[in-house]
Amino acid sequence: MSFSYTQENTIKIASLFNRYPQKKALILPLLWLAQKQDGFIGEGAMQTISGLSEMPYMHVYSVATFYTMFKLQMSEKRVIEVCRTLSCELNGSENIKKYLLDNYSKDYEIVEVECMGACSGAPMCTLDGKYIENLTPELIDEVLNAN
Amino acid sequence: MQTKIVSKNFEIPFSHTIEVALKNGRYASLDKVFSYKPQELIDIIKQSGLRGKGGGGAPAGGKWQLASDFKGIKYLVVNGDESEPGTFKDRQILAKDPHLLIEGIIATCYAIGSHISYVYVRGEYEEFSNTLQSAIDEAYEKNFLGNGASYPVDITVHRGAGAYICGEKSALLESLEGNRGHPRLKPKSPEPEFYFAEPTLVNNVETIASVPFIIENGADAYRAYGTEQSPGTLLFAISGNITKPGVYETEFGVSMLEYIENLGGGVKKGKKLKAVIPGGASTPILPAHMIKDAKLDYENLKSLGSSLGTGGMIILDEDASMVKALKNLLRFYHHESCGQCTPCREGTSWVDKTMDKFIAKTATKEDLEILKSVSKTMNGKTICVFAPAASGVIDGFLKHFEAEFLECIQ
Repeated sequence: MSFSYTQENTIKIASLFNRYPQKKALILPLLWLAQKQDGFIGEGAMQTISGLSEMPYMHVYSVATFYTMFKLQMSEKRVIEVCRTLSCELNGSENIKKYLLDNYSKDYEIVEVECMGACSGAPMCTLDGKYIENLTPELIDEVLNAN
Repeated sequence: MQTKIVSKNFEIPFSHTIEVALKNGRYASLDKVFSYKPQELIDIIKQSGLRGKGGGGAPAGGKWQLASDFKGIKYLVVNGDESEPGTFKDRQILAKDPHLLIEGIIATCYAIGSHISYVYVRGEYEEFSNTLQSAIDEAYEKNFLGNGASYPVDITVHRGAGAYICGEKSALLESLEGNRGHPRLKPKSPEPEFYFAEPTLVNNVETIASVPFIIENGADAYRAYGTEQSPGTLLFAISGNITKPGVYETEFGVSMLEYIENLGGGVKKGKKLKAVIPGGASTPILPAHMIKDAKLDYENLKSLGSSLGTGGMIILDEDASMVKALKNLLRFYHHESCGQCTPCREGTSWVDKTMDKFIAKTATKEDLEILKSVSKTMNGKTICVFAPAASGVIDGFLKHFEAEFLECIQ
């Protein structure tokens, strides 16, 4: 799996080198850029990052697997993340999850996540990383049919 | 009931843009900042009694002094990892008044002698990271930042990627160095943090955002709010079974019940209050009868056996199941343990699985003992306070609501 950053990202990366005292610190920003570019982080991307950060491949791999937001596999479907932590649960997140699974699991990958810091908008979820708060079945239908 | 110091400009349309920010007093404190010697600024912060607003409540001035005492390169790292369940205050600053944060960063860097700052923002807050980045770009254009500024400071926004533990300051620095977010051992005697072995000050977003008011108005003006030991204000937050969930800034020391009634609009659907988790998921739960006279300050909540934490209150009404609530929180701890220390990695997994039996009402007396003994084993035997926090959560639920757990025993 060969990987190379787009020209636009290569320019961004060049400026990032000036922002940190050591190349190793670029690992998280580089992982983000790779994921943004391809939708996931493949072995080729991690090899490239290993070269740029001058760190062993296994170090990059261990970092990429530690953080839950880094996806090492391409998702077939668009992703909906449903918060399941206490403030959302107290406001019915279990019903929201059930509604999503019953009606939208064919077209979307529905996953549960921990607190996203949107407790005043409980229950909430994200679609492609964007927050959707104060969820009701009606709002879900409206948003997903519009998207 | 609200006292708006940090949240003063939140309601103003386009408050995140530099034009509106400048019209509303942003960057006005900088002339005063640069008229002081750095040590004088540190002394003002010490006199103000400003305490860290990320949950720990440590005096900010002392931390500034530790970093300032070192010569050479040093860093200011702003903690915007905000992942404590029930906490959503720093995002308000990032989204609604990022220039207040930048102003605070410039003042703090000047005080401790740093020219480089990083703002570590949790990965999920992509939108707010972008707002902050736009504000930083504007500040560079207007020469508040960069080499053209009166005091040069560079700010870099660094995104986390979904790890609760990176809110712990040493784990945050590990993450910022390009490592897994594993907390470091605590030093024997007070010293600053270190980023790539250089002395570093780590402060929460809201702490830094409180600095401009203090410099502009003086330590006494800040101390005029709050209590003797908890001076000033906090962006308290309220969520759960509550009518008007949100972030409302008040001074320390106000009545918790009044906050719930007057700002939160009371328990949702007129139900009765059963319990409050006062300052983010990691603070021990308090039953309704214990909070009659509770005050929102560090000392009062500590005296009640809990903690002020981040000030993010979670309200539970009469219908809430305490067994379900504890299961919810222990699942969170299990998921978020960084896995470095055995008592935490194994303990959080064990109590999470044990809770399944209580949910299924198939628990035994032994399971209750397991909760208690694992809680004891997790407390005080790990590198960071994550596992002790989980212990406190278990102990709080069992202390006040053991009857509900006994009902689940066969």
